[in-house]
Amino acid sequence: MRADRCREWREWLGAYALGQLPGEERAALEAHLDGCPGCRAEAEALLGVAGLLLLADPERVAAPAPRPPAELGERIAASVRVERRARRRRGRLRLGFALAGAGAAVAIVLAVVLLPAADEAPPTEHVEFGSLPGGIEISATLEPHAFGTEVHLYVHGVRSGTLCRVFLRGRDGATFSAGSFRYRYGEDSRAVLSSALDLSRTAAIGVHAGGRTFVTPVSGLGPRAG
Amino acid sequence: MPAGALGNERDVREAYAAHAGELYGFALRSLGDRGLAEEAVQETFLRAWRAGDRFDPQIGSLRTWLFAIVRNVVIDLGRARATRPRLVEDAAEPAVEPIEEVLLTWQVEEALRRIGEQHRRVLLETYYRGRPYAEVAAELGVPEGTVKSRVYYGLRAMRVALEEIGYES
Repeated sequence: MRADRCREWREWLGAYALGQLPGEERAALEAHLDGCPGCRAEAEALLGVAGLLLLADPERVAAPAPRPPAELGERIAASVRVERRARRRRGRLRLGFALAGAGAAVAIVLAVVLLPAADEAPPTEHVEFGSLPGGIEISATLEPHAFGTEVHLYVHGVRSGTLCRVFLRGRDGATFSAGSFRYRYGEDSRAVLSSALDLSRTAAIGVHAGGRTFVTPVSGLGPRAG
Repeated sequence: MPAGALGNERDVREAYAAHAGELYGFALRSLGDRGLAEEAVQETFLRAWRAGDRFDPQIGSLRTWLFAIVRNVVIDLGRARATRPRLVEDAAEPAVEPIEEVLLTWQVEEALRRIGEQHRRVLLETYYRGRPYAEVAAELGVPEGTVKSRVYYGLRAMRVALEEIGYES
């Protein structure tokens, strides 16, 4: 029976694919492969797998697979809960934007930071963007969360309809988006946004609006950095 | 929200229970830092949850989708780390392997962990340690032909395991 004959040959294919088959046996097997498309296809598939084995480090394979810490799952579930609540709140606040009017050009400025008393390691940090062009005010309150940082952003005086994109910059220079919102005429426009960057690792907050970017430093003195 | 999406906290918990281990393994292998790997896994599930309605089980498995996300997260975190100032200016740059190669290496190692102990053993002894079949057979107390057939079935098992964890040849 051909199938039985092939079965014997096939059990050699592993050693063949790994280059471990002695010369005579290899020659005999190759002669069989020449006339058996089924075994040839199997050999090709195994050669592909065998080629990949080179990549693996056997020491790492022998070591137990690393596991994430037990509490990581809880932390993620908590982040989802917090973010869902923040989203609902954000939705309500966006609806609450009031109508009023003022327009102004926007320019790059340096900001003045109002730091909270450092020795109290306060849970939130308030920053004000200073020296802005006439009529414009921007300030933010940053709140640490398991998911990262919640940003309450207050804008006043830019042209209605202006798209504002908010980001946090980490101490390592990486930028994390905190989302965007559109400013509508408002005397008390406050958007609630969230970013994945931890407050304790935040070095600055930036607002990109009307083609300009405003950046102000953040101390990052959240409770964890306390 | 379509069936199978990560619409709520329970879905996220279930997805975590099923896939966090391997996502973490891959992130750790790529980033080489437990803290960063945890951050990567957390960010992966948060992004998956935020984009939960875009997941379509008709197109691919949840596992494939999560791996597509973690791959991007690892790239982002790797970039962020690369921009950090170094303590010693002249220190050699750490070798940064391309993400595809890290992923492939991780897949091969993960597949080796998944196949049966007997199969893994003969591959480790004959291929990685380069020991003769006769020696391995004597040590295991089996005929040499058995070692040969275990190598064959071991490679077949590797092929199946690689497909399971998303390797595309």
